Amino acid sequence: MMESLATTSDFLKQCSRCGGCQAVCPLYAETLAEPYVARGKIFLIKNYLDGKIELSPKMKEIMSLCLLCKACVENCPNQVPVDRLVLAARREIARERGISFVKKNVFQHLLQNNGNLSLAARMGYLYQHSGVQSVVRKSGLLELISPDLAKKERLLPRVARRPFRSQAPKLITCSRPKIRVAYYTGCLTNYVYPGTGLAVLDVLGRNGAEVVIPDQWCCGIPALASGDEASAVALAGRNIETFQMAGVDAIITDCASCGSMLHDYADLIETSEARSFADKVMDFSRFLDDAIDFQPGDTEVPLAATYHDPCHLRRGQGVYTAPRKLIRAVPGLEFKEMNEADRCCGAAGSFNLTYYDLSTRIGKRKAEYIRKTGAGLVVTGCPSCIMQLDHVLRLEQSPVQVMHLAELLSMSYVNGK
Amino acid sequence: MIPPSVIKEITRIVGEDNIFVSLEERMCYGYDGTPNAFVPDLVARPGSTEEIQAIVRLANKHLFPIVPRGAGTGLSGGSLPVENGVVLDLTRMNRILEIDEENLVAVVEPGVVTYAIQQEVERRGLFYPPDPASLKTSTIGGNVAECAGGPRAFKYGVTRDYVLGLEVVTPWGDLVKTGGKTVKSVTGYDLTRLYTGSEGTLGIITRIYLRLIPKPQSIRTMMAVFPRLEDATRTVTLIVRRGIIPATLELMDDRTIQCVENYLHLGLPVDAGAILIIEVDGAPELIEGQSGQIVDLCREGGAREVRVAASEQERDEIWAARRAVSAAVVQIKPTKISEDISVPRSQIPNMAGKLREIADRYGLNLVIFGHAGDGNLHPNILCDQSDQEEMERVEKAVGELFQAAVELGGTLSGEHGIGTMKAPYLKLETGESGYAVMLALKQALDPNNILNPGKIFRGEHDGKPCHNK
Repeated sequence: MMESLATTSDFLKQCSRCGGCQAVCPLYAETLAEPYVARGKIFLIKNYLDGKIELSPKMKEIMSLCLLCKACVENCPNQVPVDRLVLAARREIARERGISFVKKNVFQHLLQNNGNLSLAARMGYLYQHSGVQSVVRKSGLLELISPDLAKKERLLPRVARRPFRSQAPKLITCSRPKIRVAYYTGCLTNYVYPGTGLAVLDVLGRNGAEVVIPDQWCCGIPALASGDEASAVALAGRNIETFQMAGVDAIITDCASCGSMLHDYADLIETSEARSFADKVMDFSRFLDDAIDFQPGDTEVPLAATYHDPCHLRRGQGVYTAPRKLIRAVPGLEFKEMNEADRCCGAAGSFNLTYYDLSTRIGKRKAEYIRKTGAGLVVTGCPSCIMQLDHVLRLEQSPVQVMHLAELLSMSYVNGK
Repeated sequence: MIPPSVIKEITRIVGEDNIFVSLEERMCYGYDGTPNAFVPDLVARPGSTEEIQAIVRLANKHLFPIVPRGAGTGLSGGSLPVENGVVLDLTRMNRILEIDEENLVAVVEPGVVTYAIQQEVERRGLFYPPDPASLKTSTIGGNVAECAGGPRAFKYGVTRDYVLGLEVVTPWGDLVKTGGKTVKSVTGYDLTRLYTGSEGTLGIITRIYLRLIPKPQSIRTMMAVFPRLEDATRTVTLIVRRGIIPATLELMDDRTIQCVENYLHLGLPVDAGAILIIEVDGAPELIEGQSGQIVDLCREGGAREVRVAASEQERDEIWAARRAVSAAVVQIKPTKISEDISVPRSQIPNMAGKLREIADRYGLNLVIFGHAGDGNLHPNILCDQSDQEEMERVEKAVGELFQAAVELGGTLSGEHGIGTMKAPYLKLETGESGYAVMLALKQALDPNNILNPGKIFRGEHDGKPCHNK
């Protein structure tokens, strides 16, 4: 169980209202509006608990305007866990006011059933490839309904023809395996970026890891972030069960958000199984750097690359040196650090769909930092960030390519070793 | 309350995107860095001087209060809407208009974050010294309105020493320009200084001309550990007598050290009576000699240990201790009543003794840290806001503490301002006649008491209340 809002009052007291969060909040930087910064949200939650305000639609909107990027938490002199407070508020709001019909269906039915989810992905693929999408776009139908909807439609990723997990075998062995791991693929790798999944398998295999891909479901973070704790708990329970049966030493994630969520299972479900599951979860980069003796391939990758820290990797899991070390290990590559590499890109789960314009403004700041490095490639460790970075770079007509770390490492093995 | 028709007019002035009407949003503009909060009737976020003038004219027509606000980090209640009205959020006016390298002047709008100005001028080898602790968040407009200080004040002075000129919207909506790019200016009354530190009660600052100086070439940071507080304060005098003016001279007393150590585990000496953090800046040859002299003087003054930072990392470690103070001391109790009395440097030992005596007598937790170089101490009382009885004791202790500061030739506030927090005590320092002059100024310049009512003059002779109350 995550804490209820009422039990957070000690955290609320810790806020001295110094306003330091303004300096690091990506939403504040774009809006300059006090309700959207941590100090404002904490003040409102406190007033709600004191009975001075209600969980109004405005309150719901303000609480939904948070990227959960934890930049404020990291920089708070009193270390107030703002993200946990916002999540607790969202849960309370969901309980009191319910969540939207669409979200309820997605969290309670679609995400709980992989068959239905694959069907939805298949329909998405058909929409994008059958010519319907091109007809819809040319017709201007979406602009007619709402210009915002038209922009969002372009944000939708190109769905893969076949989900990654239906292409990959359940067990991938290698010569002389040193360790046996399970791969948690995440929904975006499965349905949108199967190339990332293949690269993960390639790099793991070449470094002596035997990989199993157990049956799995959405990690639950979209539900939890929307305040639907019950759906998240149900998904967590299923994942814990199948991964436990796999009998592995580590559970590898290629998605910062999923990884962060899987770590949180121990708080979400307070059982020893959940604890043992959470303890095994390891980001792909940390695994390569910490757990095994990673060796890059010989093929030169003559590119200048920069790295974007996903919030849920840097602040969520404390992983930021490993990816940089791995990138620098690629032969022929020149690494260039960008300004504020750990600043949120604005994706924040479905935030970029709900608040498209705001999210894009945050993303454009990131695109500018990337441009200033002069790098031709931006590498990161989260498919959700990849989607957002790709979108904003295309909007800026930038030639910079976006890639998952696994794909970059895999390139070094292209010619043989 | 402000009538809907007036809200509509204000909305027309600033645009629908720049107005907050919902209770939730308004509440977020009713607090600052103090423990107090109020709810404004409306939040307007103007984008230009003309918009501000239009709103001020409306205020005189319909008689509602206007409270100018920057980042809301003040520590005296200066931006609190104590009589409701319209909070004028100036953060959208955040352009650096010009950095004139030839005349060493920066021209900025009030909403620029102070740190952004510093970064921008330092890139050009220039320096804007005032460094309030909130500088990464607070706006220059707020810094000027409250006349903010900071650790570097000992050598470099406070905000007012860097304000060459201002553009100000008067309480009836006209625009006044004072000073400008010249270093010298004696044309009539010094209105620049009048508006600087006026806490939003005499005008709304819309443009600021800041004096810049060349950036010091290098910095040397030292930390000296003293067995007793008196040794540390005596050492400050020794250093100054030797003709050395360090850029900063920060003091932490024993309880502060213990809190910080317990919080950060930096390896600070928890049995020490006080720590001084001393920083000299300037040409490398100069600071080399000065830092050597300071080390000797600290030893002479009784320091049992003196560390000189050999690298940027060691410098960061030393400053980490000072930076952590505010967060660390709330371990004792959650509510922090932060005062900023200032006394002549020579009186620091007496003041410190007096502070402890008062705190002991009222059974309160007190820590002392602050800017020992300029006599600006930050005695912080740690208490619990929900404990009514304790808060009453705090109130009495604070009164005595101000009294003691004034008796030693000091001042109620070195750098936070009077606001609401110190308003009841203002006369202690100004006396009846000084108070009367200030009140006369306020009443002459703002006859309708539009701008930031309830500040500075919150004693028995309040300024005329706003009519809609």
